[in-house]
Parts: sequence; structure tokens; C-alpha cells
Amino acid sequence: MSTSKRTATGIVDPNSIPVLAAENVRKNYWLGKRAIPVLRGIDLRVYQGEMVALLGASGAGKSTLMHVLGLLDTPTDGQVLYDGKPAHSLSINQRAALRHRHTGFVFQFYHLIPELTALQNVVLARMMQISTLHYWRERRAVRAEAVLILTQFGLGERLSHRPSELSGGERQRVAIARALIAKPRIVLADEPTGNLDSHTADGVMELLFEINQTQQLAFLLVTHNEEIAARCHRMIRLKDGLVVG
Amino acid sequence: MYRPFLSLRWLVTRPINLLGVGGVTLGVFAMIVVVSIFSGFLKTVSEHIRSASADIAVQALPSTAQFPALQRALAEDPNVAAAAPRLVHFGMLHEKDHRPPPPPLLGRGSLQGGDTPFLIVLGIDPAREFLTTRLREWLEDVPPDLRVNNLDAPLEQKNGHDAILLGAERMRNEGLKPGDLVVLTSGKLQRSNDGLSNPDPIDHEFVISGAFHTRHIGYDGNNTLVDIAVLQQMLKLPITSVHEIIIKVRDPKTTEDTADRLTRAVRRTLQIEDLEERRGPVARSWRYRNRFFLQSIEWQRELMKIILIVIMVVAAVLMFATLSMMVTEKTSDIGILTAMGGTPRGVMSVFLGCGMAITSIGIALGTLAGCLGSIYLENFRQLVLLWTGLDLFPVKVYNLDRVPYDLDPIWIMQVACTAAIVGIVVSALPAYRAARHDPLVSLRGT
Ligand SMILES: Nc1ncnc2c1ncn2[C@@H]1O[C@H](COP(=O)(O)OP(=O)(O)O)[C@@H](O)[C@H]1O
Ligand SMILES: [Mg+2]
Repeated sequence: MSTSKRTATGIVDPNSIPVLAAENVRKNYWLGKRAIPVLRGIDLRVYQGEMVALLGASGAGKSTLMHVLGLLDTPTDGQVLYDGKPAHSLSINQRAALRHRHTGFVFQFYHLIPELTALQNVVLARMMQISTLHYWRERRAVRAEAVLILTQFGLGERLSHRPSELSGGERQRVAIARALIAKPRIVLADEPTGNLDSHTADGVMELLFEINQTQQLAFLLVTHNEEIAARCHRMIRLKDGLVVG
Repeated sequence: MYRPFLSLRWLVTRPINLLGVGGVTLGVFAMIVVVSIFSGFLKTVSEHIRSASADIAVQALPSTAQFPALQRALAEDPNVAAAAPRLVHFGMLHEKDHRPPPPPLLGRGSLQGGDTPFLIVLGIDPAREFLTTRLREWLEDVPPDLRVNNLDAPLEQKNGHDAILLGAERMRNEGLKPGDLVVLTSGKLQRSNDGLSNPDPIDHEFVISGAFHTRHIGYDGNNTLVDIAVLQQMLKLPITSVHEIIIKVRDPKTTEDTADRLTRAVRRTLQIEDLEERRGPVARSWRYRNRFFLQSIEWQRELMKIILIVIMVVAAVLMFATLSMMVTEKTSDIGILTAMGGTPRGVMSVFLGCGMAITSIGIALGTLAGCLGSIYLENFRQLVLLWTGLDLFPVKVYNLDRVPYDLDPIWIMQVACTAAIVGIVVSALPAYRAARHDPLVSLRGT
């Protein structure tokens, strides 16, 4: 693995508004009447163009935090701010739209739709954002855009393959392309290489770093790999539901 | 946009959904075909009955009734075009010097009447009958070798014998020809001086002058026509006596009202005080006289509808099962749809869209197949008959030339709407389940 360590300084302007921020976020799960605190007051900020690693033991609450930050789950207490604006107080439809437009997801288990080809999976992400009429007028442009991204990711020959016909690395590239076509401001990646062998994982990680650099896109990246974390601009460690260090 | 796209993709990539489409198609098809054939049957049979029946018949006249007086009273009604007298008696028919044939076997129907020796003997006045019923058509609508010689006087005497008309089918079955001699055996109750009633047998020899054919199943075989004067003589009744008066109306739309009016007119003429009394002479429309027969077919049709609902239920269960399976399989995709900005409503409408597509395709195919099936069922029958010798619908039994059908647009609409509602309900339940599914369950992975 090529570990050309980046220096983080200089990117972040402390006066700018963070793309994504959490303020005292708490999350309890309920076991009957007993509250089990998983997140116990998380504060964090991610600025534009930043690549932030989120580390923590298994069960530390990383995924839970990602879901709360991505508006898939509601916090028991505290706030999530998108560009400085509270996001959880919005209506269900506004939150749904923001989930895609502001925040892109990449998961450990790809979550591609098995009935669709690689290209259709990417195009679907764009369809989610626009009306039928709108899509119909722009269908060629949308398609071309999806083809372009997939080709850039080295999947030019795999456009009409179903997920079951793709390797793990290829599937994750399709998933990343799907997150990017919606042009989010930040990508939440929850162990994106957790299911890949180390060689393939390196390729996918290189791709993420490259995107971060060329597109100035913010990333919050859950990983267990200290080496990768060290390459990020910043590290956040989670322990017992709190940010440590 | 993703909703119709995903609905469609999931629909076409899962062949099992064809099961739902097939179920709906079959249900709609069966509902349309079966009911349209029953309706066509009802329509044709009522036309047949219509052609064999006078518009109105005044029945249950007292034995003292006189035709001339009643005719004058009836003619006053504006809607009465013509009236004819009839005597209604009974008898057994057999060839000369032969015993009457044995009574029919139990259970053998009197559909064509060919196998029962018991007959209703109608005494008619041909000249008046021509104006009142379709007697001329009945006489013309028979094979040439069975036709009467003189269509204008079908019951004129021949070689000193009184003439009789028999149903065409009956004549064929019994091998009779015009000119053959037959004996009508009948009887009459004779009241003696000490107040006892004794049967008084009557035998009368007739010459067959020809056949008639009304197309009403059960009518031709069970009725025989003789001249009213001959029957009056046989029964020793006066020349003006009448059992039943048949009437032709001018405006068929007001037949029922006219019948009510005529009932009152007849009762007034006969000086029967109570005009509303249930017993006593009464004028009945052809529809009323045949109501049980017509209703029985209608009831069969309604019964058939109930049976067909079972097919619909099977189709609904099939659709429900396939859609439920699909939702269960697809719950893993609900998480990513939510992450990409889908709402529970959106997820629900994807599955609802699948169900609606299945239903609409099924309704469209079923309606098309149902209409074509009704129209071309006769061709299909002919084809099967040609290939296998099997007659799927023995139309001859009912005096039909072909498998009848009557496509009722209202019924087709009712079927389509019912299927649509059932489709919505059946797809709404799995779709609702999908919407309720917690997307985080599938996103957390293993
Ligand atoms: N739906 C749930 N109900 C109860 N407890 C849960 C639920 N989801 C996660 N947890 C618990 O919350 C903790 C954090 O889980 P998670 O966020 O998945 O951890 P990580 O991603 O860091 O491994 C774990 O102890 C887990 O058992
Ligand atoms: Mg996790």
C-alpha cells in the first residue's frame, strides 16, 4: 500500500461553517424499559473537502452515529447540523431529500439492487431526486453522466452487468458511483472496505482519496485500519459512546 | 421517477408475477364469458318463447264464458289489435289400431315432448289466430315434406277427416307424415243426475295436415292444434264457448298495463264484483306466463356469478401471495431506497405500483380474452366438433343455431371495477407492510 501521508493543515478554515456537525448527540436503545445509551453526547464537525476517519471498537456506536448523522435514525437528544442548519427538525420529506442531496452513503454491504444493472443502479440514484417528466427530458444526459462516472471508476466494460456478476470491489465502486451521481456535499462511508480483501480494499480506498482530492468532497470514513486513518486529515475515536482523544 | 421504474423492473425481472397476472386474467375472462353466454342464452330463449306466445292471454275463464261478448269488450281497449278464442283440452295421440305409447320413463324430460303421449290439445280459429299469433311463421318454418298443403287454411277437412297439426320434431321422431291418420283419445267428466262425476271417454280420428315449429323448447312437443269447432263438437260445447282468449297488442311496451286493464274489462263483462280478487279470469302477459322459466335461467346466471367469485378469490390469493413474497424478498432493498431519499410513502407506492400493473394487465387481457372468447366460442365449438366429434354445447337441445352470447358493457365494467378494487386491496396490504419495514434493519447488515 502506498502510504503518502497527507498533511491536513491549510484545508480547514476555522471560521467557515461545517458541512456536517453534531452537537451533543445522544442515542439510547430501549431494552424493555431500560435505556441502553449507545451515544452519550457526541460533538463533531466535518468541513468541506475534509477526509475524517472515525475509529472505534466494534459495538462502539459508529454505525449508529452514521445513521443519526445521515438522518436515517433520530437522536434521543442533541442536534445534527447540515451547513449550520438543524436537520432533524425538518419534515419527513425534506429530510428524505436531504439524505441524498446533502449526504451520500457507502455501506459495507454495497446494497445494490440485484435486479438492476450497474448502470441502472447508478441512474436510479439520480431518478430518486427528480420527477418522471424531468427525468424523461434529461434521460440522455443522466445516462451519459452515469456512464462517465462508472468509466472513470474502471467499470466501462461492466455497465450492463448485474451485481451478482460483479466482484466485491466492482460492486463497491458501483455503490460509490451511485452516491456521487447525486452530487452530495459529504459522503458517509461505513467500513466501505470491510468486506473486501486487502488488495481490492486498497484500490477502493485509493479511489475515495482521489475523489476527496479532486472534488473537494468531505468524507466521514469508518475504518479499523490505522494506516488508512493516518492518511486522513483527521481522526475521531469513539469509545463507550463518547469521542475520545 | 424511481417508483414507476422500480415497479416495472421488479415486475419484469420476476416471472413469478405472471402468476398474478394469469390469475386476474383468468378470473376476468371467466366472469365475462360465462355470464355473456348465459345472457345470450336468456335472450335467445326469451325470443323463442316470445315467438311461441301470444302477447296477452285471458285465462281461467268460467265455463259459461261466451267469446262474442268478451271479444266486444276486449276490442274496446285501444291497445288491443286482435283477439282469438282457444279451447284448451288434453289427450293422448296414437296411430289407428295401436295402443297409445306407454307413459314416459321417470326423469325423461318433456323438453321436446317427443316421448310423452300426453298432449295439450288447443282448439284454435285459424283465421283469427293468423292475426293474433305467428301461426303462419310456425307453419312455414318446417321442412317442405312436413308442410301443410294450404297455408291459408291449415285445418281444413281432408277426405272427410278433421285435420290436426303436430310439432315438427314430434312428427320426425314418430315417423309421421302429412296425410297419416292418428287417433286422439281424450275424455270429459260427465255429471250425472245423482251428482256423481263419471269420466266419459272420447275418441276422435284426425288426419295430419302438417307440422308447426315455434322454436320454444317444450312447446311444440307438448301441444297439438285442431280446429276450435271440432273440439267444441267433441266436448259437446256450444259454438261460442271459449277457455282462453289470446290477444295481440299494438304497443308491446305497455303490455303489462294493458293486461291489467283487460283483466278488469273481462271481469266487468262477466259481472264479477271483485275486480281485485286473485281467483277468477285474468289477463296475463307472455312474460308473466313464462316467468318461472325465464327466472330459472336468470337464477342460474346469478348462481354462476357466485361460483365465479371463487375464481376471483383464487386470483386474489395468488396475487397476494406473490406480492407478499416479493415484499419479503425486497425488504433488504428498502434500506438503500430510504438512504437514497425514499420515504415510506415512496416505498409503498413502488410495491403498490407492481400490484396495480399486475391488476391492470390482467384486467386488460381478461377483458379482451373474455369478449373474443364469447364471440368466437361457436367457432371453437365447431372446431372441436370437427376434430374430436365432441359437442361441447349441445345447442340443438335448446333450439339454438349456435352458442349464444350477449356482451353487456355494464357487466364488463362491473367485472373490471371489481377486479381493480380487489387488486388495490390485495396489493395495498403487502405494500403497507413494506412501508412499515424499518430501513435500518436491512442497512445494519448481518
Ligand atoms: N436496534 C438496536 N437495538 C438495540 N441495540 C442496538 C441496536 N442497534 C445497535 N445496537 C447496539 O448499539 C451498539 C452500537 O452498535 P453499532 O452502532 O452497530 O456499533 P459499531 O458500528 O460501532 O460496531 C452495539 O452494542 C449494538 O449492540
Ligand atoms: Mg458498524
